[in-house]
Amino acid sequence: MDDDLPTDFQVIVVGTGLVESIVAAACSRIRKNVLHLDSRDHYGGLWASHNFEGLQKFIKEITTDPSRQLQVYNLIEKWYIPKESQEVKQEGEDGKTEDGKEAKKVWSQADFASEYRKFNIDMTPKLLFARGPLVELLISSNIARYAEFRCVTRVLTWMSDKLMPVPCSRADVFATEAVSIVEKRMLMKMLTSIVGYNEEEMDNEFKDWTDKTFQEYLTHKGLTPNLIHYVLYAIAGGTNAMPCLEGVRECKKFLMSLGRYGNTPFLWPMYGSGELPQCFCRLCAVFGGVYCLNRPIDTVENKTVDDKKVVVIESKSKTLTCDHLVLGINEGPKDLLSQEHSDSSDISRAVFITNGTIMSSEKEPLTLLRFPPLNEDNNATTVLEVGPATGSCPKGLFVVYFITNKVVDAETDLMPYAQKIFDMSGGEQTEASDKPKCLWSLFYNVKDTSATVRDGVEGVHVCAGPDAGLDFDRAVHQAEEIFKKICPGEEFLPRAPDPEEIVFEDDVTHGPEFQGEQEDADGDKE
Amino acid sequence: MEDYKFLFKVVLVGNAGVGKTCLVRRFTQGLFPPGQGATIGVDFMIKTVEVDGEKVKLQIWDTAGQERFRSITQSYYRSAHALILVYDISCQPTFDCLPDWLREIEEYANNKVLRILVGNKTDREDREIPRHIGEDFAQRHGMYFLETSAKEAENVERLFMEIAVELMEQAKCKELPKYDGSLGPINGKTSSVGDGSCCLR
Repeated sequence: MDDDLPTDFQVIVVGTGLVESIVAAACSRIRKNVLHLDSRDHYGGLWASHNFEGLQKFIKEITTDPSRQLQVYNLIEKWYIPKESQEVKQEGEDGKTEDGKEAKKVWSQADFASEYRKFNIDMTPKLLFARGPLVELLISSNIARYAEFRCVTRVLTWMSDKLMPVPCSRADVFATEAVSIVEKRMLMKMLTSIVGYNEEEMDNEFKDWTDKTFQEYLTHKGLTPNLIHYVLYAIAGGTNAMPCLEGVRECKKFLMSLGRYGNTPFLWPMYGSGELPQCFCRLCAVFGGVYCLNRPIDTVENKTVDDKKVVVIESKSKTLTCDHLVLGINEGPKDLLSQEHSDSSDISRAVFITNGTIMSSEKEPLTLLRFPPLNEDNNATTVLEVGPATGSCPKGLFVVYFITNKVVDAETDLMPYAQKIFDMSGGEQTEASDKPKCLWSLFYNVKDTSATVRDGVEGVHVCAGPDAGLDFDRAVHQAEEIFKKICPGEEFLPRAPDPEEIVFEDDVTHGPEFQGEQEDADGDKE
Repeated sequence: MEDYKFLFKVVLVGNAGVGKTCLVRRFTQGLFPPGQGATIGVDFMIKTVEVDGEKVKLQIWDTAGQERFRSITQSYYRSAHALILVYDISCQPTFDCLPDWLREIEEYANNKVLRILVGNKTDREDREIPRHIGEDFAQRHGMYFLETSAKEAENVERLFMEIAVELMEQAKCKELPKYDGSLGPINGKTSSVGDGSCCLR
């Protein structure tokens, strides 16, 4: 079937990670002729969400194929539950325990396998700031219609050796009992002033703070240690060393995204972040982009055809040509790219599946937890807890992601944090405890690298892999940069028409016209 | 304009060239586009129908050509209420691929999705798949079955109307959430209305 693959394109995109997919959509949207390939049988590369079976396949690939350990390494998977279900005890008690609560289901590895479809586990879990660049792009391009989101319901932090909710909004601040009235006034005054600054005022206000830390600034402003903790660690997501201006900008970003969709500034994509690249791929296809998974490329070189320089790609003994090749960093032939470490360090990640939430609440919570560093060498750690309502796991379970910048290795970096909030003993699942039981865990490190193309090869644009940041800013920014190089002067993802706006003309072979003002074109008028 | 009570997402799958786009355009626009190649520019189409005096809006999604190299995004199947699997009665290979499509559906679609098998192009005289073979297959896999001709407008209206009626029925007895305009275009049964669920508009 692959033999039907057309061979001449303006743009060929290899890899279906988020950056590549946004570029593909943007090029196709302005009617560039686009071919989009991926060497694997699923969309997203390292940005994908996997069901439990897909995840097992991923783990196996990483552990058996040394070449894949260039991207993902130090991978450790552990079970804390038995292989098969134990005999059901105490049948006939209406499934209730003595205190009248519903008994907890006892999970086995076999249960995970049989319910594998209900898991959507993210390789690159991230949140969207409600006014961040990805949300704005999804709305302005009309790609938002391909996705559904849930609001993060709460932001937590770790303070005085326990979990504490962080007051985000004005209402939260006034409702909380954790801070005194005087403190509340102080906090509101400072937050209001940060939101109010424009760039110029910010530069002015903070001109003496350029080489000082955000913590020093907050102390100078007279905030109490409690408030400094909230603002520095939970709202700004920083550490004691965070530079003042960076802290102020992070705070402003957080505060500006409040009040758009829910009680917190964040959104989580239903079924996981792996849906997002697919949304862009769908748009690309709608505008004529050709899709072919399971299609690795072998070589890339330049040739001159009819006095025009083109990129020539060999793939499964087929020759493809294009003006521009957009290449995911992990998809390129090895001799083409010379990898270089980016400024940021590698990423330490962990995924846990637990039998309950880290802090109970009335409705199913969706949580961002920001840990301050537990010791001086560590970085701040981000924790995301998602439940069944997000399409991430079966009922009764939660999926919890840990993300930090690598210091030693994923397990060493993250285990101390996990132990604070989970029961990692592997003991009886029904036994009462104040922490949820960890049923399964996965630790791994991901390389954060960028790469340059070998000298002498032109027309190739390399996309970086996932980064450790909370939002998708870097990916969106990079995609726009690449698009501008390929299509200078063209609009980046203009709004796609709604179906109601599409008017068909008979006998047209080109795509439908965009006629914004026309109505009643959907044929539902009799 | 937005005075409907229910909104259902219906998605079409099946091999390239079996007439998925023609079925959609016949139903939504009452026309048969002659000699079209792969689908370009069509995302989904909308038609509002009336069932028992209530307005039902059908949002009918096409594959955008991604079926050509078996590369449909999983997200295409998300939140679908009904799934139409189409083959061409005059083309054996399109029928032979049905098990592959079923596997994909099992993997990605909601397991409660209403599934309909459609043998299209009954206007063709070079039939290769007898009607009862299609019927058998549908029965074995718990699917509704219908043969259609998008060209002759045969059974096309019936196909979509029966889907609308069936989904209405399901929605009523399962008390599915009603479509609420503030939630944006996609409001599948897997995501509950209200608390925390939202769409960007």
